[in-house]
Amino acid sequence: MPVIVLNKNRFCSFIGRSITVEEMAKWLPWLGTSLEETGPDYVKIEFNPNRIDFSSYAGVARAFCGLLEWKTGLPKYKVQKGKIVVNVDSTVSNVRPHILGAVIRNIRLDVDSIAELMEMQEDLHWGIGRDRKKASIGVHNLDRVQTPFTYTTGDPNTAKFVPLDKTTEMSLKEILEEHEKGKAYRYLVDWAPRYPLLIDRKGRVLSMPPIINGELTRVDSLTQNLFIDVTGPDINALARSMNVLVTALADMGGSVESVRVKYPDHTVVSPDLTAQQMKLRISYANKLLGLKLSESQAVRSLRKCRLDAKKVGKGVLEVSIPAYRTDILHEVDLVEEVAIGYGYFRLKPTKPTTVTTGKQHKAEEMANHVRQIMIGLGFTEVMNFILTNEVVHYKKMRKNISKMVRLANPVSTEYSIAREDLLPSLMKNLADNRHESYPQRIFEVSDVIKIKEKAETRSERRLHVAAVSSHPTANFTEIKSYTEALLTNLGLTGWKIKEATPPSFLEGRVAAIHVRQKKIGILGEIHPEVLNNFELENPTSAFEIDLEGNL
Amino acid sequence: MSELRENEQKTMLTLEKLGGRSPVAQIVKTSGLAHAAVMRAALSLSTKKLLQIHEQKQTTIALSEEGKQHAEKGLPERRSIRALIKLGGEATVEETVNEAALEEDFTTIASGWLHRKNWVTMKGNMLKTSGEPPMEVDEKLLSLLQEKGSLIIESISKEMKSAAYVLKKRKLIEMDEKTLRELELTDTGWKLVKRGIKAVEEVSQLTPELILSKKWQKVKLRKFDVTAPGPVVYPGKIHPMQEIIQMVREAFLEMGFTEIRGSIVQTAFWNFDALFQPQDHPAREMMDTFYLAQPKEGRLPRKNFVDAVAKTHENGWITGSRGWQYKWGPQEAKKLIMRTHTTAVTIHYLAEHREPPVKVFSVDRIYRNERLDYKHLAELYQIEGIIMDKNVTLRDLIGTLKEFYLKLGLKRVEFWPSYFPYTEPSAQATAYVPELKTWIELCGMGIFRPEVVAPFGIKHPVLAWGGGLERLVMLKLGVDDIRFLYKNDLGWIRRSPVCR
Repeated sequence: MPVIVLNKNRFCSFIGRSITVEEMAKWLPWLGTSLEETGPDYVKIEFNPNRIDFSSYAGVARAFCGLLEWKTGLPKYKVQKGKIVVNVDSTVSNVRPHILGAVIRNIRLDVDSIAELMEMQEDLHWGIGRDRKKASIGVHNLDRVQTPFTYTTGDPNTAKFVPLDKTTEMSLKEILEEHEKGKAYRYLVDWAPRYPLLIDRKGRVLSMPPIINGELTRVDSLTQNLFIDVTGPDINALARSMNVLVTALADMGGSVESVRVKYPDHTVVSPDLTAQQMKLRISYANKLLGLKLSESQAVRSLRKCRLDAKKVGKGVLEVSIPAYRTDILHEVDLVEEVAIGYGYFRLKPTKPTTVTTGKQHKAEEMANHVRQIMIGLGFTEVMNFILTNEVVHYKKMRKNISKMVRLANPVSTEYSIAREDLLPSLMKNLADNRHESYPQRIFEVSDVIKIKEKAETRSERRLHVAAVSSHPTANFTEIKSYTEALLTNLGLTGWKIKEATPPSFLEGRVAAIHVRQKKIGILGEIHPEVLNNFELENPTSAFEIDLEGNL
Repeated sequence: MSELRENEQKTMLTLEKLGGRSPVAQIVKTSGLAHAAVMRAALSLSTKKLLQIHEQKQTTIALSEEGKQHAEKGLPERRSIRALIKLGGEATVEETVNEAALEEDFTTIASGWLHRKNWVTMKGNMLKTSGEPPMEVDEKLLSLLQEKGSLIIESISKEMKSAAYVLKKRKLIEMDEKTLRELELTDTGWKLVKRGIKAVEEVSQLTPELILSKKWQKVKLRKFDVTAPGPVVYPGKIHPMQEIIQMVREAFLEMGFTEIRGSIVQTAFWNFDALFQPQDHPAREMMDTFYLAQPKEGRLPRKNFVDAVAKTHENGWITGSRGWQYKWGPQEAKKLIMRTHTTAVTIHYLAEHREPPVKVFSVDRIYRNERLDYKHLAELYQIEGIIMDKNVTLRDLIGTLKEFYLKLGLKRVEFWPSYFPYTEPSAQATAYVPELKTWIELCGMGIFRPEVVAPFGIKHPVLAWGGGLERLVMLKLGVDDIRFLYKNDLGWIRRSPVCR
C-alpha cells in the first residue's frame, strides 16, 4: 500500500496552522490512514488505494482540516478557459487512443514539491493507472515548448529525442531496449508498428507515453507554468488521474487552465472539475451505522469530509462530491463518509439481538475426536502446509507421480503442488527431527486435495489422519494395534484388513483398511528405501486413513 | 562411613583380587559387571576416598583407505621418481605421471611432494633426478602400519610421531584418541577390604514372585538415589498452534456461531468477482495469487448469479452503484486459484442461505503468493466471522468484536476507518498488548457492499470481519519468526507447556 511522509512544518503550511507531530499522529488515523512511523519532525502514514488523493500534502491537508472543522464543505476549484490545443492524430487509436491535457500557471515549485509531484505521479500510475496500463501522466515545463501540441505516433527507428535523465538522443526503439523505464514498460507499446508521441508545434518531443518524458520539458524549481498530459485506453481513468493531480496543484498555488483536445471527429475540454452529485437517504445511513442522526447532524458530518449536502426531500440529501474523490460509487460510500465525519471513536458498541446457538462443523468435530484418541495413544500432533513438492511427495516415497493440483506460479520449488496424502509430510517431519530422542510418534489430522473432475473446482478437499511411529523396534504389529485402537474408538465397526502393495511400504508388512467394500486407508512398515531417502535410521511404521466417508 | 552398594562392593573385591590396581576393562572382565556399572561405582567410591581413578590419554593410529592404497603401491611421489628414473632421469611432469600410471587425483600431489622432499630439480616443466632417494621415515611408518594394523602413538619414536602428523594431514592415516582409566585402591580402601566385605544379594526391582512368596522380607531391597535424574518422557499432545485455533473456535461457538468449511481451491468467480473485485484489480495478479496450472479452469455457478455479477461490475446493475465501468468476462472468472481468503466460502454460503439470521465462522487455510520470511507465509490461517440479520449495524459489529477479542484475552480494542473492496463502511481493529506495550492490527471488518450481496439476492446487512491467526499465535506463544510455527520442531512441541 502507498505511503506518504508528512514533514510537520510543510504540513503546517498546507493547513495554515501550527500543530505538533503528536496532534498529527492523533488525528490522521481517524481519516482511515494507518500510522507507520512518527519521528521528531514527521509522520509517515499508509493510505488505502481508494483514497489516492492522499498521495499529496494538499490532499491530506484538505481532509485533515475538514475532520477538525477548520475548513468544511466542498473545496472550490476554478478552471479558466485556455487557448491551448492538443491535436490528436488518428494513428494513436490503435495503440493508446486517449489523451487529456491541463495547464497550471504561476506555480512556485521547490525541491520538496518537485519530489512530491513525482511520488504522487507514481502513486496515481499504480492506484488508478494500474501500473500505467490504464492511464499514465506526464508533467512538463510549458515554457520550453510551443503550442499547439500533437498527440501522434512515431517510427520506432527514425523518431528520436533525448529522454529524461539522458544527454544524447535515442530512437524510440533504443529507449525501449536500453532505457530502464523503456525496459520496464515496453510491453505496453512494443507490439504496435508505431509508438505514441506527444510533440510540440516544431516537432520537438514532450513525451513518449506511457514510457518517459523528454529532457526538454524537465520540471525544475525555476518552472512557473506546467503542461500536464494523461494518456491511456480508459477515458474514466484518465479523468480521475487528472482531477486528483490538478486539484493538488491548485492547492499548491497554481491556477488551472483548460486544454482543448481535438480528435478527428470531436473535441474534449479538460480538466472537468465539476462536483459529482449523489443522493443519500439519512434513514439508510442510520440503519447501517446504528445511529439516529438528524438531517443537520448528517450534513455536518458530510461537510467535515469536505462534501456539500443539501436537503432535497424528506430525509433525503443531495450530496456534492469533489472531483478528486474517485472512490464514491454508491450511496453506501456516502454512509461511510457520514461515519468518518461523525467520528468512528464516537461509535458506541452494541450487541446484535440475533440469538443463535453455535455448532461446529462435522469435519472439525471428527478431527478433534481423532486428536483426543491419538494423544491418548502417546502421539504428538504436527501441522504441515498443504503445499509441497514432487520430490518429497512422490519421489522419496517411491510413488509414481499422479494427477494432482499444481500451481501455475509457485513462489519456490519447495511449494509447487498440493498434497494428496499426509504421510510424506510426516516423513519429512521425522527427517527434520533426527536429533530428537526416540521413540518419535507423531500424527497429523488435516486436509489433502484430490482431483475430482465432477466438482465445480475440479478438485476436492478431504480430511485425513496419518501417524508414524519411529524407533528401533517399530513394526507392523505395533502400528496395527494403534490403528485398530483409533478405529474402535471412532466407533467404526466391521472394517477389514486386507493385503496390499503400496510402494512406500515393505511388501508383506502392509495392509489396506476397508470399510463396506471401500478402501479407506493403509498401514504398515515404511519401505527401507523410503527411510534411506529421508536419511532415517530407525524402522518406522505408519498409517493413513481418509475420514471423509465417516463424517 | 555409609554402606556400600552391591556394585561398589563387587568392584572393591575385584580390585583386591587384581592386586589393588587395574585397568577398568580388566575389572569389567573379571567382575562380570557392565562397564557403566563399574564406572558408576568407581565414581562413588572415589568420592568416598576408597579408590583413585588414574586417567591416561592414548592415541591409536591406523591407515585410512587412501593410506592403505599407498602402503601397497608406494606414495605417489615414490612411484613418480621411479618412473622418472625409468625415463632416463629427465622428463616432463606429464610424461612422468603417465609413466607412473598415477590416478588423476594424485598427479598434483605427486609433483608437490617431489619438490618438497627435494627429490628432483625442476626447470619449467622439466623434472630431473640424479638417482632414487632412500626410504624416508613416512614411508617406513606406512609399511609398519600396513604390517601391524595399528600403533599407539605414545609408544613410537619422535621422528615417526612427527611423520604421523604429516601423514594425517595428507589424510593417509586416522587417529583415534581414547582415555584409559585405571582404578587403584587407596590406603583406606585397602583397610576396608582387609577388614572384609561380604557381598549381599541386592534386589532392585520388586517382582510379582517376590511379593507373592513374601521373599521380599528376606532380600535386601536396594535403596535408590532418589535425587538422581531419570529418563525424560514426553506426553502426546496437540500442536501449540492448534491449541490457539481451538481457543478461537470456542470463542465463536460460545457466541452462537456455526462453523462453515469450503473448498480450498476456488474459482476466481467466488474469490474475487462475487466480492466485487474488478478483473484488473492488482490483488488478482499472479504476483499476489496462486493460480493453478492443473486443473486450470472450474465451472461458474448458475446463470442468474453470473449475469447479475457481470452487470454489477460493468454498470452497477440495479444496485444503484456506478459499477467499475469495464467489460466483464467469464474467462477470467473461471480460473482456478488457491483461495486468498475464506470470504470466498462465506459469500458462496450466503448465496445458498439467504434466510436470516445467519451467524457463521471459519478458522481455515488461505494462500498468498508470498516468499517465506520471518514475517510472511504463503499458506496461513484466517479467522473469519459473519452475521447476517435484519437490522444489524456497524455498532453491532463493533460490539461483537469487543466481546470476541475479550474472550481471547484482549481487553483494549479500538476501531478505525479503513478500506476493503467488498465492505462499506469498513473498519479495522487494533488491540493493545500489555506484554509488548504496543498496539497490533487485529482484523479488517465492515458491512458487505450492496454490489456484493444484491447479485445473490441477499436482502439484509452482512457484518463481516477477518484477520490472521498466526499473529495472535505468535503473540501468545512468544514466537518471533512466523515460519517456526510450521517447522514442527519436535523438541519445541514436546517441551512447550500445555498450560501457559
